[in-house]
Amino acid sequence: MRARNFGVLIAAAALTLGSAAAQEPKRGGTLVMGQSSATTHFNNAVGSGTGIMIPGAQLFASPIMHDDKWNPQPYLAERWEISTDALAVTLHLRKNAIFHDGHPITSEDVAFSILTIRDNHPFNTMLRPVEGVDTPDPHTAVIRLKHPHPAILYAMGPPLMPILPKHIYGDGHAIKTHPRNNKDVVGSGPFKFVSFKPGDQAVMERFDKFFLPGKPLLDRIILKLYPDSQTSLLELESGRLHMQPFFNRVLELERAKSNPALTITSRGYEAIGGINWLLFNNKKKPFDDIRVRQAIAHAIDRDFIGKALHKGLSRKATGPIHSGFPQHSAETTQYAFDLKKAEALLDAAGIKRGPDGVRMRITCDYYPGDEDGQKRIAEYMKPALKRIGIEVEVRTPADFATFARHMASKDFDISMDAAFAWGDPVIGVHRTYLSTNIRPLVFTNNAQYANPKVDELLATAEQEMDPAKRKALYVEFQKIVTADVPLVWLTELPYHTIASKRVHGLPATIWGAAAPLLDTWLAD
Amino acid sequence: MSANSRPAHGEHPTREALRMFARSPVAVVGFALLGAIVALALLGPMLMPADPFDIVAAPLSPPSFQEALLGTDQQGRDVLTGIVHGGRATLAVGLSAALVSVLIGITVGAIAGFFGGTIDEILMRVTEFFQVLPALLFSMVLVTLFTPTLMTIALSIGAVSWTATARLTRAEFLKLKELDFVAAEHVIGAGKGRIIWGVILPNALPPLIVSATFAIGTAILFEASLSFLGLGDPNRMSWGLMIGSSRSYILSSWWAVTFPGCMIFLTVLAVSLIGDGLNDALNPKLRERR
Repeated sequence: MRARNFGVLIAAAALTLGSAAAQEPKRGGTLVMGQSSATTHFNNAVGSGTGIMIPGAQLFASPIMHDDKWNPQPYLAERWEISTDALAVTLHLRKNAIFHDGHPITSEDVAFSILTIRDNHPFNTMLRPVEGVDTPDPHTAVIRLKHPHPAILYAMGPPLMPILPKHIYGDGHAIKTHPRNNKDVVGSGPFKFVSFKPGDQAVMERFDKFFLPGKPLLDRIILKLYPDSQTSLLELESGRLHMQPFFNRVLELERAKSNPALTITSRGYEAIGGINWLLFNNKKKPFDDIRVRQAIAHAIDRDFIGKALHKGLSRKATGPIHSGFPQHSAETTQYAFDLKKAEALLDAAGIKRGPDGVRMRITCDYYPGDEDGQKRIAEYMKPALKRIGIEVEVRTPADFATFARHMASKDFDISMDAAFAWGDPVIGVHRTYLSTNIRPLVFTNNAQYANPKVDELLATAEQEMDPAKRKALYVEFQKIVTADVPLVWLTELPYHTIASKRVHGLPATIWGAAAPLLDTWLAD
Repeated sequence: MSANSRPAHGEHPTREALRMFARSPVAVVGFALLGAIVALALLGPMLMPADPFDIVAAPLSPPSFQEALLGTDQQGRDVLTGIVHGGRATLAVGLSAALVSVLIGITVGAIAGFFGGTIDEILMRVTEFFQVLPALLFSMVLVTLFTPTLMTIALSIGAVSWTATARLTRAEFLKLKELDFVAAEHVIGAGKGRIIWGVILPNALPPLIVSATFAIGTAILFEASLSFLGLGDPNRMSWGLMIGSSRSYILSSWWAVTFPGCMIFLTVLAVSLIGDGLNDALNPKLRERR
C-alpha cells in the first residue's frame, strides 16, 4: 500500500515536472478578467474594495510586495531597513523606475503618496502612526513613526500603498474627487491606463518601460464587470472570459469544478482574510448574558453551513483571525453543535419555553449582496434556532444603506456580517473588538464588545515588532474573545478564482488578484 | 333575438346567471380546481403540521419516497411542506391585493364617471399617471421602501393595478348615469352618495366582478414576480418565495422551482377559467347568443 502510494507520488511529480518543462511562459496576449464589484475609479490610495484595488494594483506599484508565504519582497523599493528602535523605515527606491508619462519616480512621490493614504484611506489604522516621511535624496524615503508599527510591512503592499505621481495628484485638487482618479490615470505599475467605461470595462496595457525587466508577460488586461455570477460563469464556459477572481457563489463554483476546461483555486485570498459571523447586540437584553450567546453558538451546526450550504467550499472559522494569517490560532473555545447544552444554557439564563414552546422572538439582519455567505445563513438561523425555542424573523435589508443604518444605530438583535482583514490584524481585525471603536458606523465594533484585557492585548500587539511575541499576544486574544463569544465565527468566506486552463501563473500571492499580475500568461 | 328576451324567461337574473355559470364546463372545471387549491391551503397545514422552514434533508435532495417526496430546496427545506403551507400566503396576497385594487379602482372610477367635468379630468390624469408607470418597477420601489411583508406586498400590488378597474367603472357610470332609472332617483330627491353606491354601482357590478376575478390571478403572478426578484417576505412561506429563492438552481435541481411553479400556474388558470365563466354568465349579450 505504502509502496504503491510512493509510486503514484513519483509519477505525479514526474508529470508536474514534465508539464512545467513543456509550458514555457509566453509573452503577449489579452487577458479578459471578470469582476463582480464595479470600478468607480482607479486610485486605491483613497478607496478600498476589489473594484478599486484590483485595477489599482496593476496601474500603480507599491514599495514592497509579498510572496505566497507572507514574506515581504522588493518591488519599487529594492531594499528597506527598519531602525533598531523601530521608529524609522528607510526605503531605497529603484533608480530606473518611471511613471507612465516618463517622469522619474522619486522619494517625493513616495512621501506624497504615504501621507495621502494616511489622511484619506478608509482603513484609517493602517498608517495612523506615521508622523512624516523624510526624503534625504531622490531615491531614499524615511518613514518616521510615532511608535513601532509592525503592520506597516503589509500596509506597504500592492493593494494598499500605490505610489502616485505627485506632479499630477499634488496639484491641490481634493484627492478623493480628483478628476484623474478615473481618466488619463498616470501610474507607476506594470500596466498603463488605456480606457474606462464605467459600469462596463477598463482596459490596461503593458508599460514597456516598467522597472522590472521582462515583466509583465501580458500585453493587455481587459477588466470586465459581471454583476451576475451566472453570466460570468457562462462567459467563462464560452471562453470569452479567461479569469474571474473573488468568486464566491457556491452553485457556480460547483459547476466550474466539473468543467474540464476550467480550474478553480482558493489560493490567493490569505491576506484578504474574510470571515463571516453572527453578530450579537451585546448591550441588548438578553444577549448581554453570556449563557444566551453560548446557547445560540451551540445551536448552530457549522458543519451544515460549510458542508451542505457551501458544499464544502468554505472552511470552518475557529475564531476572529483567518486561518491563512500567520497570527491565526486554533487553540480557541469551540462551540460544538449541541442542542441539549444550548437548551440547558437558556434555561439557566431564565429564558424558559412558553406554552407555545417559544422562548423568545428575535430578528436577524444580514449584510446584503452576498447570497451564499450571508443571506442563506441568515435564513438558516430561522430553523436552526427554532429547535431551541427561539423564533427568528429575518429582516431583509432593502439595501446596503438600510443595513448600515441598523448597524450604526445598534437597532438589531442578531445580524449576519462579514469582514476582511487586509494583511494585518491591525488593519482589519482590531476594529471589531476594540472598545474604543464602538462607533455609530457600519463595520466597527457593532457587537459593542468591551473587555479591558482585550483592549490591552491588542494595544500591545499593535506595537510588538517580534513576530513570535506578537503571535503569542494574538493567540491569547483569540482565546479570550472566543470564550467571551461576542459573535459566533461561522466560516471563512468561500472566495475562489475560476480560470480557463489557458491561463497560467494564476495570482497566488497572499493578495491574489489585488497584486500586480506580473507572471500571468495565456497559452494558445 | 330581441333585447327584451330576458323578462320572458321570468327567472331572477342572479339565479339565471348561476345556471349559465354551472352550464359552462370551463367554469365548473375552474371552480373545482380552485376549490381543491383553497382546501389544500386551508386544511393542508393541519394535516402536515411540520414547519415549512425546517431542514429535513440535505439541500437540493431530489424527490424520493424515503426522504422528501418532492425533494428539498437549497436550504434543505421540504418542497412538499412548502407547497402545502405556502398556499395560504399566496392566496391571501392574491385576494387582498385584488381587493385593494378593486376598492381603489371602483372609488376613483365611480367618482370620476358620476361627477364628470373637472373632477373627472383630474382623476383621469392621475389614473393615466399610474398607467404609464411600469407596474412591476413601481411595486418594487414600494415594497423596498416599506420592507417586504405580506401586507406591504399586497398593498403595493393593489396600488399599482387599480387603473383598469377605474377606467371600466368610469365607463359604466358614464353610460348608466344617463339612463331613466337614475334620472328617476334624482327626481325623487335621492342623495348623490345613494345614487352612486346604491343605484348605479349595483348595476355596474357584473363587468366589475369579472375584472376583479382576473385581478386575483394577476396579483398572484405579481407576488410571484416580486418574490422572484428577491422581494418576497422571507418569514412567510409562499409559492413565489419558493420560486424566488430556488430560481438559480433550476438547471441542477428542477424540482425546487417546478412544483411551486405548477401550483401558481394551476391557481391562476383556475381563477381565469372562473373569470371566463362569470363573464359568460353575467354578460347579457353573450347570454342572448346561447
